[in-house]
This record gives sequence, C-alpha cells and structure tokens, in this order.
Amino acid sequence: MSERSYSSDEDMALVRLAQQGDMQAFEELVARYRDKIYARAFSMMRSEEDAIDLSQEAWIKAWQRLKQFQGESSFGTWMTRVVINLCLDQLRKQKRHRVESLEAMDEESGGVERQMPVVTVNPTEGLERQELRVRIDKALGQLSQEHRTVLVLHEFEEMEYKEIARVMECSIGTVMSRLFYARRRLAALLVNINKEGVR
Amino acid sequence: MNEKEIKLQAYLDKELAADERQQVESALLQDPEANALLAELRMIRGVLAGYQDQTKLPESREFYWSKVERGLRAAERAELSGSRDTAVRTWWRKWLVPAGAFAALALAGWLAGTQTGFFGSTAPQGESSLDDTGAFTYRDFSTGTTLVWLSYPAEN
Repeated sequence: MSERSYSSDEDMALVRLAQQGDMQAFEELVARYRDKIYARAFSMMRSEEDAIDLSQEAWIKAWQRLKQFQGESSFGTWMTRVVINLCLDQLRKQKRHRVESLEAMDEESGGVERQMPVVTVNPTEGLERQELRVRIDKALGQLSQEHRTVLVLHEFEEMEYKEIARVMECSIGTVMSRLFYARRRLAALLVNINKEGVR
Repeated sequence: MNEKEIKLQAYLDKELAADERQQVESALLQDPEANALLAELRMIRGVLAGYQDQTKLPESREFYWSKVERGLRAAERAELSGSRDTAVRTWWRKWLVPAGAFAALALAGWLAGTQTGFFGSTAPQGESSLDDTGAFTYRDFSTGTTLVWLSYPAEN
C-alpha cells in the first residue's frame, strides 16, 4: 500500500486528521509552520538555542492541546499564540534571575524618551530589503526584552493594547508606555546604525 | 510619557474613541511638535510593516521533526505513566481506605467491648485508677476475687 501524501491538504483537514492521532498529518503542519514559529520565538528571545527549544516545546504543547483548537483562527495564528505564551513564560523566568539595569528602570519610570530628538528623516529610506532586515534585526536586538516583546506583539502580531496587557500580565498604561519608548528608541537606533553602518 | 503623547500614540494605533480622535486631530492642526512626533511614530510603524521576517529555522525538516517526534513520544510516555500512577492511587483509595476504616472500626469495637466487659465478661480484668495512681485493682468475676495492690505502705 502506498503512503498517503499530505502536502496538498488544507491546514484544517490536516488538523482534523492530527486530532484523531495521525502523526504524519501533524508532521506536515510542523513542516509548513516551523519557520514562522521559530522566527517568532527568535524575535522574542534573540537566541537561536532558546528559539529552537521553545519552538519544539510549542509543537509538543500544540499536539497535546490540539483537540482544543476548533478553527476560531487560522492554525498558524493559533500556533503563534502557543509559542508566544511559552516565550513569555521563559522571559518571566529569566527576569526573576536578572537584575534590572538602571536603563530599564529609567525606561519603566518614563521620561528617557523625551531626551531623544525626533527623527524626521526615515533612516531606512532606499535600503534593499535584505539590508533593511539586517538593520531592523540589529536595532531590535538592542531593545530590552520588555520593549521588544511589546513591539513584536503589537506590530507583528497586531495585538491590541488590552490583549498585550493580558498576555504580559501588566497594565494597559505600561503597555502604552513601553510601546512608545520602544518606537522612539528604535527610531534613534536606526539613525545610529545608519551613521555607523552595520558591522 | 505625558498625556499628549499617550493620546498621539493611541490615535496612531486606532485605540481612541471617535470623539477623542477628533480632539487629537484638532490639536494636531496647531501643534507642529506633535505633528513631528506623530510622523516619527508613523515612520517606525511603516518600517516595521515592511520588515519581512525571513528568519529561517537553521535545521533540516527531517532533523527538526525527529526532535519534535521524540518529544511527543516522551510526553506520551510521561502522560501514560502519570495516568498509571493515578490508576494505582485510585485503586488504593478505592480499596485501602474503606478497608482501613473497617479495620479501625473493628478495633475500636473490640476495645470498647473489652472495656465494658461485653466480650467475655468473666475474663479477669486489671484496672489502674486515675484517682489513685499508686493503687492497682485485679478482678476475676468467675471466682468473685478482687485484689488491690498498693504501691505505698498502708497507714495505720
């Protein structure tokens, strides 16, 4: 008997098969979304090792909870939420072991961003897509975990303030303040990277 | 971050009610600083929107899946052994607890019976009175004998 091919199946059909215990169907879903899930984990953790571990853990969690997925959102969105929650848990654990930097405390209390001059010229103007990606990656890597996370959730996951506040377990005010700082700092960082060039 | 900046950002993110949006729009007409700041925030939004996250998993499909699959099997084994432990615990709870309770009741009943003389009322009994800890009484109902030991010399 020849092996069944899953590559042409729709996501939801694969999900239904996987919900009945078909691991090959689940493998196809992993193959389709592994880059996206890894990329989201990497954007939050900025560590290849952590991102690989957490993305794998996300797939294991997804398999265990697959029956809960009823197609309210796309499978990709649901999976992204699973990995985001794992990353947030991991960041919380790391934060407990980390001494807050003075800069981070200043950012939390607010006011630092007012010292930054407003960026009037787009520092990424005319850049090739690849070059733009490298620069944004570098700038994102220089943000604190909290600011990067808020930015990722708002800009890439298109979450609203209240949803971010819920998943990050903080107030809406903190979300707004972190997002404001993150944007302003990112603008300043991109200007600096533009001046220095990417090393 | 002040009130104006909060409103400005919320305006950009479409998180304001219609009347608040109008207030911000009116304020923007006379505030060049606010306009510059809004332009910066908008520019960053645009830059990030165009940012294509092309990060690729640095492992082959087969290798990555083999690790995920191993994790799935391990999780299944852990779940299975967990449910087996639960079954054993349930069995113990189902049988041992009632059996223990029955044994405790039987023991209590037996003890109560011996104390009240219900079991073999003719059996000899020893008794130490709490009122007088120096005295010990022995009774044998079959022969009608009662002996009292005193651990101190009797007074004259």
